[in-house]
Amino acid sequence: MVVALARVATMLVVGAFTVGPALAETLTVLAAASTVEAVEEALGRFRAAHDQQIQASYASSSALARQIEYGAPADIFISANTRWMDYLAERGHVAAALRRNLLTNELVWITPDDGAPAPAPLDALGTQLDTRLGAGRLAVGDPDHVPAGMYARQALETLGLWDAVRDRLAPAQNVRVALMLVARGEAPLGIVYRTDAAAAVGVRIIDALPAASHAPIVYPIAVVRGHQRQTVRSLFDFLTSAEAADVFRRHGFGIP
Amino acid sequence: MIEATLRHRLGAFTLDLSFHSEGGVVALFGASGAGKTTVANLIAGLLRPDAGRIVVGGRELFDSERGIDVPPERRRLGYVFQEDRLFPHISVRRNLTYGRRPASAADPRVTLDQVVDILGLSELLGRRPAGLSSGEKQRVAIGRALLANPRLLVMDEPLTNLDAGRRAEILGFVERLRDTFAIPILYVSHSVEEIVRLADQVVAIAEGQVIAAGSVEDVMSRRELSPILGPFDAGAVMAAHVEAHDRRFELTRLGVKAGTLTVSRIDLPVGTRLRVRVRARDVILARTMPEHISTLNVLMGTVVEVAASEGSQAEVLLDVGSPLWARVTRRSVEALGLVPGIEVHALIKAVAIDREAAGYGGATLSVDDHT
Amino acid sequence: MLTEIELQALWLSLRVGFWSTVVALPLALLAAWVLSRRRFPGRRLLDVVVHVPLVLPPVVVGYLLLILLGRQGPLGGLLHQWFEVTVVFTWQGAAIASAVMAFPLAVRAIRLSLDAVDRRLETAARTLGASPVRVFVTITLPLTAPGILAGAVLGFARSVGEFGATITFVSNIAGETRTLPLALFTAVQTPGTDPAAARLVIISVAIALVALLASELLAQRFTRHLEGRP
Repeated sequence: MVVALARVATMLVVGAFTVGPALAETLTVLAAASTVEAVEEALGRFRAAHDQQIQASYASSSALARQIEYGAPADIFISANTRWMDYLAERGHVAAALRRNLLTNELVWITPDDGAPAPAPLDALGTQLDTRLGAGRLAVGDPDHVPAGMYARQALETLGLWDAVRDRLAPAQNVRVALMLVARGEAPLGIVYRTDAAAAVGVRIIDALPAASHAPIVYPIAVVRGHQRQTVRSLFDFLTSAEAADVFRRHGFGIP
Repeated sequence: MIEATLRHRLGAFTLDLSFHSEGGVVALFGASGAGKTTVANLIAGLLRPDAGRIVVGGRELFDSERGIDVPPERRRLGYVFQEDRLFPHISVRRNLTYGRRPASAADPRVTLDQVVDILGLSELLGRRPAGLSSGEKQRVAIGRALLANPRLLVMDEPLTNLDAGRRAEILGFVERLRDTFAIPILYVSHSVEEIVRLADQVVAIAEGQVIAAGSVEDVMSRRELSPILGPFDAGAVMAAHVEAHDRRFELTRLGVKAGTLTVSRIDLPVGTRLRVRVRARDVILARTMPEHISTLNVLMGTVVEVAASEGSQAEVLLDVGSPLWARVTRRSVEALGLVPGIEVHALIKAVAIDREAAGYGGATLSVDDHT
Repeated sequence: MLTEIELQALWLSLRVGFWSTVVALPLALLAAWVLSRRRFPGRRLLDVVVHVPLVLPPVVVGYLLLILLGRQGPLGGLLHQWFEVTVVFTWQGAAIASAVMAFPLAVRAIRLSLDAVDRRLETAARTLGASPVRVFVTITLPLTAPGILAGAVLGFARSVGEFGATITFVSNIAGETRTLPLALFTAVQTPGTDPAAARLVIISVAIALVALLASELLAQRFTRHLEGRP
């Protein structure tokens, strides 16, 4: 629990500061917050194998996209949804030839793991959501701009639950914060990525939301336009390789 | 009125003294650093003695053995500081009435009108302290302490921060106060002139110890005080009264224990009591009565003691009916054969007139009167 | 003109700012007085603790508040058990976060003023029969007033601008905790809302400027009044 919270805390601190200027020899990767552990492990392997300096910054995809749009010196961008990648592509910031779908993910319902016997499963359709939520709030990423939150909203709308819940949300600035709110018992329920729930201590997965209730959760990766030099391509190739795929699978992601 | 026994560690030395007074004005006299202000602070309760006992007006304020320590706000004392310490954010009037308590039957009542009248504050009442002169501020401070209906008024060198003109002015006001209200005063000062004018009793302090205590005339004439007074001021203090005026020559005759002293005319009625000071350096000695000299004041007496000062000087104590000091050269001591018991004539070059018992405002500084 | 969302954020900011100042100010006065006038073991430590919110990243402060006042926290748990009160996700929680962030600023401003009060005036008041309480109320407090005022306004301005601790502690809930800075954050994150963002920026800057100006003017006026100048 403490370890998870420490991780979350570190991530919050990191996410609160902006990316500094990258050195010529250092590669810069901006990646969605929900990928931090998986991507860090993969980057670690590349760093060791190629003795290459890589600077990575993890935050919400919207914040990162904005930064790239306003000229932050990033080499590679991993977004938590297609929308933000398309946004940058429309504005000409993406090297079209160097764009792939890297990962997939699932949304799950979570509750606090407080040692009490497991609550009756809240089924995938979220019936009894109303009763289960009670006076508390549903922790999600902010549906206005956090991809995980946007997916959650889609799912809730499809399941016909959105109207009941829209005023009872705890919108977090990124998924990790939503996770923390549930882990600490501040929110009785939450919707997060499976990968986050799996990594965390202090929360229990009750069920997965039906994949059909929302657009596919896809994590595109792309090289930022103007940054297509050899070292960057090398990294890009590695991240889209089978070896990296193994790492990602182990952290709970799917590979498209 | 005051009984104090105090022991208190003061850094370089330890304060260890004991004194008492019956009422009136008692002065704490000593050089800077002797411990006078500390004594005042201990009595007021602003400082806690290491050990001792303080009784004021029959009321125990402090007793280290019995664990009594009355906090300053309950000691019913008034305190006038060197710096006025007026509250800048309220008017003069509100400053004055800050310490007002409902008067109890046993205490004499001091009214705002009286104080304003005596200290000349009526023009200042609506103003703020910021705009006042230093003299005005100190007058308000005195009035404020008075209006708190204190059983004892402690004044800690209240004139030190004023220039010569203001000092004279305020000294006059303090004399008026002393004469109008019957409040006992503990007056701390290193100024001989202030003490001689204001006090009835003196406690002289050096390095935390009492070196002399008694009436002003007695103590101020003592040899032990020369180190404090310095060579310029050392001398004798005498009680005097106005005997007669000489209109023709503009002179006044003063009666003292030792005889009479003639000074330039002072504008006081016959019978007025004063104090005069005769400095040792202003006294010339002669074995025989000189003739055809201009000095008007010659007193006869006997040598009591001869003490050599530094270098060429010696100090001779005479008894002319009351003590009198003369400073002469050692050579003259030998030449004149000045030994205890010898009769001499003391020629007095100048008399310092200090105290005007009924002095209302416009009081003068000590006037060196050469006659 | 301002939309519903912006008005809501503005109103929330003023409300949170007001209450956070009301709560923080007396505590700041107490802390300033203790630090200025009392000697005791651990005084330096207290001084450091008071300044912690000033030097930590606001997000970390928010996180610490969550640990303390959240449902599982030592204080929050008690609040929940005994009074059924939760502060997370509420504007009161936002006020608490703001109060904590504003607290050191208020303490500094007040302490500056307190230290400048001539202690000899306080001693003089005691010789005039004033108890320590009366001395504090009639002498110390009025003379410290400019500092208290400065502390209040500075604290208020800081509260209105509070972001990191707030969003971490109480989340970004429209109508409840979405103060101006949080509304601005949301607008910046969502594409196509630049005009709204611009309006929010202008409002925020305006409030801060007005607060600082008012603080300056009032402090000056006060000081002149205390010194008896017209």
